[in-house]
Amino acid sequence: MRTEKEDLIRYKDGNLYCELADIWIDPSKPVKRALITHAHFDHFTFGCEEYLSTNETAILLKERVGDNIKIKTFDYGEKFKINGINISFHPSGHILGSSQIRFIFAEEKWLISGDFKLQKDNTCKQYEIVKTDYLISECTFGLPIFKWDETNKIANDISKWITNSPEKASLLFCYSLGKAQRLLNEINQTNFKGNIYSHGSIHRINNCYKELGIDIKDTIKIENKNNIEELKGSLILLPPSLSKGSYLKNFKNIQTAFASGWMSIRALKKRSGYDKGFVISDHADWDGILEVVKKSEAKNVFFHHGDSEALSKYLVEKESINVLFLNK
Amino acid sequence: MSLKKFSALFSDLDSINSTNNKIEVLKSYFVSNEPIDNSWAIYLLTGKINKRFISGRYLKNLFSQIYEYPQWLIDTCYLKVGDSAEVITLLLKNKTTSKNKKLSNISLDELLSKIIPELSKLNEEEKNLEIRNIWETLPEDNHLIFNKILTGTFRVGVSIGLITKSISKLNNIDEEIISHRLMGNFKPSIDSYQFLINKNINLEELNSKPFPFLLANTFEDKIFKYSINNFQFEWKYDGIRIQLIKRLGNVSLWTRGQELVNESFPELVEKMSSIKDDFVLDGELLVWNFKEQIALDFTYLQKRINRKSPSRSIQIKYPIIFIAYDLLEINGKDIREIKLENRRIELEKYFSKWQNKTENNITDIFRICDLIYPKDWSEALTFKERSRENNTEGLVIKNKRSPYASGRKKGIWWKYKVDPMQLDAVLIYARGGSGRRAGLYTDYSFALWKEKELIKFASAYSGLTNLEIKELDQWIRKNTIEKFGPVRSLKPEMVFEISFEKIQISKRHKSGIAVRFPRITKWRKDKKINDADSLENAFELMKKIS
Repeated sequence: MRTEKEDLIRYKDGNLYCELADIWIDPSKPVKRALITHAHFDHFTFGCEEYLSTNETAILLKERVGDNIKIKTFDYGEKFKINGINISFHPSGHILGSSQIRFIFAEEKWLISGDFKLQKDNTCKQYEIVKTDYLISECTFGLPIFKWDETNKIANDISKWITNSPEKASLLFCYSLGKAQRLLNEINQTNFKGNIYSHGSIHRINNCYKELGIDIKDTIKIENKNNIEELKGSLILLPPSLSKGSYLKNFKNIQTAFASGWMSIRALKKRSGYDKGFVISDHADWDGILEVVKKSEAKNVFFHHGDSEALSKYLVEKESINVLFLNK
Repeated sequence: MSLKKFSALFSDLDSINSTNNKIEVLKSYFVSNEPIDNSWAIYLLTGKINKRFISGRYLKNLFSQIYEYPQWLIDTCYLKVGDSAEVITLLLKNKTTSKNKKLSNISLDELLSKIIPELSKLNEEEKNLEIRNIWETLPEDNHLIFNKILTGTFRVGVSIGLITKSISKLNNIDEEIISHRLMGNFKPSIDSYQFLINKNINLEELNSKPFPFLLANTFEDKIFKYSINNFQFEWKYDGIRIQLIKRLGNVSLWTRGQELVNESFPELVEKMSSIKDDFVLDGELLVWNFKEQIALDFTYLQKRINRKSPSRSIQIKYPIIFIAYDLLEINGKDIREIKLENRRIELEKYFSKWQNKTENNITDIFRICDLIYPKDWSEALTFKERSRENNTEGLVIKNKRSPYASGRKKGIWWKYKVDPMQLDAVLIYARGGSGRRAGLYTDYSFALWKEKELIKFASAYSGLTNLEIKELDQWIRKNTIEKFGPVRSLKPEMVFEISFEKIQISKRHKSGIAVRFPRITKWRKDKKINDADSLENAFELMKKIS
């Protein structure tokens, strides 16, 4: 039986916390020192005294929240020490700058997977297999019903969806940071040659990606005054928050779609109210999670972010892997 | 050629919300396919195939055996997805190892007239082998349709009306004619499709067309200022609205949804055929309690609606009655322009003639509605409040001088429904929904106080908005006391206003009462659990009603 003191990383107030280094990982409330795995808003909060992240994540964070935050940045693989604990960031393949974080203390390795995927994504570094003793993994899509298709297949489906309705403006909803840019990169390689518009929030991130040397297609920033003729046959990228409410009244004759892993379930797709769902995710699918668990060679695994019951039971029964709950 | 195309059609229909676009997609499907596959497609889309060849459980077991998946894992997935055929389809992805997809060009006809029917003739072992074989050799895109047909759960978001409309538009034939042709023994064949789109319309078909229905508006206070003598009062029955047409000797029963339902109610068709005159009647079809001379609940009618060619015993168990409230045409003469009070005189006159002159007794299945004569508006209100006693929903008030117009015209008919009964109850259990509500806690149980204890008294799943469902779902996940399979017992904290139509003593329930059609009408966030009603309140309510 491990005691609370022995755990290098545990839950504190619902967040991951390393007591020996007095450092928090993606905290949801202001703290002294925070390691940030990536720049999505649910992994970040204002008001911390100091942030530590990769260079790309730092640039994206500043783009989103402004320059007046104190961030210390590191390269992937660069080791730094806090209170005798070795810490390093490693690519997690989720979005640009996203990382896993590894802790080494007294021969014991801990790895926090962050949000991750194994699929190819030209807009960020490929997931790196990192060996560890203890793995804390996300499991957003931790059921075998989730299996992703190749990204280029989905991109071609999107291209067909737009070109099959030349009379319509095709509104594709997707997360502003990461998913939008990944789609733009992939759609660039399909037969779709029409105009692509993007909402201001997406447009800003696009510019950020381009400055960081990522190859994505140019888009036109969408203005409410864009006339309707012009939008016919075009693709318009919008953040999901605009799908409900009055924003859509700016358009006429539209079709809508949502790009998300959840769209693989018909009931969820139906409930979402979008016409169409494209199953594409920046998280690992079931096979992806299993692969990471195995290749990490972790002897002890913890899950957070998601329903882990079935996944844990499966690993214990079928793969004889030790799945534990983090101490609080 | 065409299972592939049909799968594509299914996914197209699934990703279009606009009716017009659905019609366009259907039209282009019908244009580009063989008549035989079209007739099968129509057969499937209109829900005429509903046989379950294999149960969802069987399919899940079989998958678990073949691909070595633990049963509990499949069950967990099911809770998220809510449909066995879909779960298996999702799990099958990338699982099949056969490179030879020899079924990739299979026609709908081959699948439905050969492969699937032959499955049922095999013994269990052969059947399992064959299903596995089909999974392995059918392209993944077609798995969902195959599994859904197999489990008898094929459904898609198009109504018969929409199919009718697209065939009608495509071939330039009136919708009513297509509807008429689709009725009856539409069996998938080349001939049946050719007949469906045949431009030569025979007289019988022409004569079956109903008039557009006149619909009632919701009651408006302003009619109180008119004299009560301007209006005709009827009970508002909770059945199916029907236009009963007899022309040139042929009877057709049309619902408001443009559906011909002759096959579900053959005894009515037979009796009405024996009347000598031709006519068009507007009225309500009900399941009737002949002993007490009272309408039975809509739930009984549901036992009849979806059953084609009901057996004699079903006809006896759920006896129907048609209650006419209007006469629209008599012996070829359209009388819709005549004012209501005069149409009523005609209706009564003909009804008594038919009663006396028809050889068979027709009144055991056909009557005209009784009128109510309140002296003033306050008595009308009293009638309305008493409508539950005869199992009606309230009153229909009709302007005596009005013609039979079409649609929901103002100032002609009003429905004046009785208010539901209500109690405030505490949420104590939640259960995961299925189908469209899969993955969310959407089925709730509510309790009332009995001294210091909360006793379950009703379950309900309708009435909340999607946003409220999501909010409540999150609350449920955070406030679970215990899980029993898909059911969670909850911290008693949330109070809801529950409305229902009927309350009666029940020995089967711990609470001692049973309510009909319970539904949530308000989330009483303003109330604490101590403000919820007690069982005593429920019994008082029952006394007050009876």
